[in-house]
Amino acid sequence: MATREAALLRHEPVTHPGVATGIRSWVTTVDHKRIGILYGVSAFAFFVLGGIEALLIRLQLAQPNLSIVSAETFNALFTMHGTTMVFLAIMPFSAAFFNYMVPLLIGARDVAFPRLNALSFWTFLAGGLLLNASFLVGTPPDGGWFGYTSLTLKQYSPSISIDFWLLSLQVLGASSLMAAVNFVVTILNLRAPGMTLMRMPVFVWMTLVVQFLILLAFPPITVGLIFLMFDRFFGTHFYDVAAGGDLHLWQHLFWIFGHPEVYILILPAFGIVSEVLPTFARKPLFGAPVVIYSGVLIGFFGFGVWSHHMFAAGMGPIADAAFAVATMLIAIPTGVKIFNWLATLWGGSIRFTVALHYAVGLVALFTIGGLSGIMHASPPVDLQQTDSYFVVAHLHYVLIGGSLFGLLAGAYYWWPKMTGRLLDERLGKVGFWVLFVGFNLTFFPQHYLGAAGMPRRIYTYGEGTGWAFWNLASSIGAFGIALGILIFLINAVRSLRVGARAAGDPWDGRTLEWRTSSPPPPHNFDAIPPVHGRDSFWREKHGDRAGRRPTLPPTAPEPHGVHVPSPSVWPVLVALGIGVAAAGALLHVAVVVVGALLTVLGVFAFALEHHRNPAHADQIGNLGVDHRKLAMWIFLGSECLLFGTLIATYMAYRGRSVIGPYPHEILNIPLTTLSTFDLLMSSLLMVLALAAVQRGDMAQTRLWLFGTAFFGLIFLGFQVYEFTHFVGEGLTLQQNLFGSTFFVLTGFHGGHVTLGVVWLLSLWLLALRGRLGAADATKVEVAGLYWHFVDVVWIVIFTLVYLIP
Amino acid sequence: MVRPALGVLVLAVALGLAGCAWDGPMSTVAPRSDVARAIHGVYAIITWATVGIALVVFVGLGWVLWRYRARPGVGPVSQTRGHSLLEIAWTVAPALVLLVIAIPTIQVIFRTQGAAMPPNALEVTVRGWQWWWEFRYPALDVVTANELHLPRGRAVVLNLEGPDVIHSFWVPQLGGKRDVIPGRLNRITLVPEQSGEYWGQCAEFCGTSHANMGLRVVVEEPEAFERWVAAQRTPPAEPSGLAAEGQALYARSACVGCHAIRGVSAGVIGPDLTHFASRDLFGAGMWPVTEERVIAWLKDPPRLKPGAKMPNLNLTDAEARALTAYLLSLE
Repeated sequence: MATREAALLRHEPVTHPGVATGIRSWVTTVDHKRIGILYGVSAFAFFVLGGIEALLIRLQLAQPNLSIVSAETFNALFTMHGTTMVFLAIMPFSAAFFNYMVPLLIGARDVAFPRLNALSFWTFLAGGLLLNASFLVGTPPDGGWFGYTSLTLKQYSPSISIDFWLLSLQVLGASSLMAAVNFVVTILNLRAPGMTLMRMPVFVWMTLVVQFLILLAFPPITVGLIFLMFDRFFGTHFYDVAAGGDLHLWQHLFWIFGHPEVYILILPAFGIVSEVLPTFARKPLFGAPVVIYSGVLIGFFGFGVWSHHMFAAGMGPIADAAFAVATMLIAIPTGVKIFNWLATLWGGSIRFTVALHYAVGLVALFTIGGLSGIMHASPPVDLQQTDSYFVVAHLHYVLIGGSLFGLLAGAYYWWPKMTGRLLDERLGKVGFWVLFVGFNLTFFPQHYLGAAGMPRRIYTYGEGTGWAFWNLASSIGAFGIALGILIFLINAVRSLRVGARAAGDPWDGRTLEWRTSSPPPPHNFDAIPPVHGRDSFWREKHGDRAGRRPTLPPTAPEPHGVHVPSPSVWPVLVALGIGVAAAGALLHVAVVVVGALLTVLGVFAFALEHHRNPAHADQIGNLGVDHRKLAMWIFLGSECLLFGTLIATYMAYRGRSVIGPYPHEILNIPLTTLSTFDLLMSSLLMVLALAAVQRGDMAQTRLWLFGTAFFGLIFLGFQVYEFTHFVGEGLTLQQNLFGSTFFVLTGFHGGHVTLGVVWLLSLWLLALRGRLGAADATKVEVAGLYWHFVDVVWIVIFTLVYLIP
Repeated sequence: MVRPALGVLVLAVALGLAGCAWDGPMSTVAPRSDVARAIHGVYAIITWATVGIALVVFVGLGWVLWRYRARPGVGPVSQTRGHSLLEIAWTVAPALVLLVIAIPTIQVIFRTQGAAMPPNALEVTVRGWQWWWEFRYPALDVVTANELHLPRGRAVVLNLEGPDVIHSFWVPQLGGKRDVIPGRLNRITLVPEQSGEYWGQCAEFCGTSHANMGLRVVVEEPEAFERWVAAQRTPPAEPSGLAAEGQALYARSACVGCHAIRGVSAGVIGPDLTHFASRDLFGAGMWPVTEERVIAWLKDPPRLKPGAKMPNLNLTDAEARALTAYLLSLE
């Protein structure tokens, strides 16, 4: 085999980038593999923190009436445990595999936007550090990972603990959003020749679904957090019941995000298992298209079921019934996956590697978690189970038994690829059984505790409840989990130091990542591998069902060597700026300004670097579209949800203000019609600017670019006048619910216009200095897409806010 | 490998069942009201359906792993890519099982929530405060805290009101939980079917002392309930001796700002104390009403109940004793 592979990869000598070393090379790296490792290592560190928090929780609950930690500390511990495990451990663990594996699995040399990828990582790290910095100043968040208002309002949580939480989540959300745009474009546009969508490995498919979930699920929580931030910092009334606010609003916004988030956490693990089981059963994934469609359906249904987290909140019988049925429907594609995995093993020749242990562990444990989920899909049953330990058991069967076991399967499976060394299989199996037993001892009894009525999030409980025995068992089990993780860590460290060297294809793998060396060179593949079907590499080695092997085209050396993007210092600086600005909100407005300046400068430097030295020589990908244009379309899709949420909130709160001024008393329709007309005309000028740059007429390009920006400025002038006038009339952010919703909605739109004006003026300046030519037409086009979108949003706002009485 | 594992499993199940008491005071599977019984019916169907599916999957998984383990001498395996009929079958089968679950679910939803208010229902306003429960019987002119009395066999409507943050009213044996949300009116309708004392607890995280927000529901025969109402409506007896001193102290200190005692004070943000000593427990289910416990509480509430809104008034021992004597006289 090895000689075939070597022959396949043989090529003429071409220039290859060397492997850089040293800390600086890691800080400035834009290599997806290194960024993957950075994600993995950071996620593990945060995972250990979250685990220690969990152990303290279990110590406190081991017996009735213990006081190992105080009530305040306990509340902070479960808040931080939940937030950490969701946002700082499981999501970035998945991101580690997205980063490292997706380009390899689709036969690409990097992601679509390598610098943006680095920015995603550093922004994630900034958010994670900010969240945990709350421990250092003694005010860890303590409102639960779900942060229900009104408990999280200033009135009931006056310290900055909640501010730490909401600011960090905003920063982490920005990181996830950037990564999501990046990976959608990468997967759609950077596939190797022959890698059609249906030939993509299931892990890549699940990655794609997850990115769409992030794009569509994060905007509602972002808006919800913005409202909370404005309520806490600026005295608005979004969650102020006395001013007409509705506490269901936060719950809806949180769970519209929160439920898809569950699939964001579990689908990557499903993807990993769908790679691991076929490899070690030596059979293709059974019904791969159905497994893929099931994943897509799970993601799709995931947006229609959020209210099953609110059955106890009192939505009425019709909503309860509808969300119950929708939730039960999700069980169908999920069940299909389980059966297809079983059928994959059926008739195979199963090698019991550690990776397979974890993958089978997922199938078994997720089955329990999924079935207990069906139980509380039924609202009557949920009314007994929700907010009890039954749900704690359920969610840990899903997130540990499902997500974590899947990720550990991935870790054991891909470790040799990522490090070039093997993990110890025997130690790995010991670790698996310790973790498996510890996990079940911890969480299986919690089903009983829930049925026996133990509520969640209580720091202590009394005698006479009958909960003591199984709480003790659960606490003992938790240390088993810790031991299992420790064994993994020991195995990893030993492997790095003395582990046996791994060949390129240690498992007799089926997919493209095994077709290159372990670890892969910085450019991944010397020649982009040809793809002949699903499990392409397996066919090359073993032939298809009839034993036919594909004829490989001769590998042509790349004429100009391999282009890999150069390192950049700007991503880490922009992320630092974002982190400083967020921390500044807790300290002093001057720090916010410093952070914002750093961010703006960094973004300009970042953009100019791209202008001079793009990451890819050729930006047109499989879809025949420029990566940047595709990215903008995807980003705008996410923006629709952002504005949609803002507008929906405005509409839901119409007429609920308890004091004036009211909209009809104050909105000036003729004047706003004028500013709307001005903004529409700017779109026309934008069209002219794009046409000019496409035909290379730079004089006209300059004129129309400036014209567009100028019209944008006029619009902003109107808005400044309107806002000043309203404040003079007594309508402020703090005046009433109308003021809060109106200013935040139109203010956000104004912010978007401002960003557009700055962008257009920057292009105009480049054009003035002769550094923009016909070859840069796409850059103008991308800015134009954004500009038109912002205009369209305004038409919706104008219609709904101003015209409808 | 398999036989010891099976032994461990049997042992675990036996041990598990031995360690489980299914009729504990907060049991969700020991229904004592019409609503709780309806819920329990669905609960049982779903439990057995899911346990059945789990067994099928586990047996299948175990058998496949055993049967198709890699063995020396086994040649290349068939590269089967799928089987449409099988896949359709295991899409349709779960859908059928879900129907079995969905139908009773929807029936129970509408039976327990959709119904109009029953005639002759006893209405009680339930307010969840950080961190105690207030119960008002508007038609009976009775106000009490943390101990809800209900007559057996009569429909009860609990109107849930939230004055501060979100709480959730949960008495498992009488039915499912329902959130208490400021600005929204939620409602529980049920008929208690068996007299007895039932435990309840706040089920929505509501801040520091969320864990210390218990309650008791006393379901009594109708006559006993009438006697209780009559007692609650009687003004407290005039205190004498140490208790009289306590009353004087109470009336001139900060207590009156928050607590109500009929004829003495009219505070509204703390529990009504008019018949404090008629309750079994105080502090929202935390301690029995005994002299020793009440004195300890009065001397430093936030230490005994983290986050408690009741401040430490730096009472002397004598003052605490006098106040306690007064409180214990309020039967």
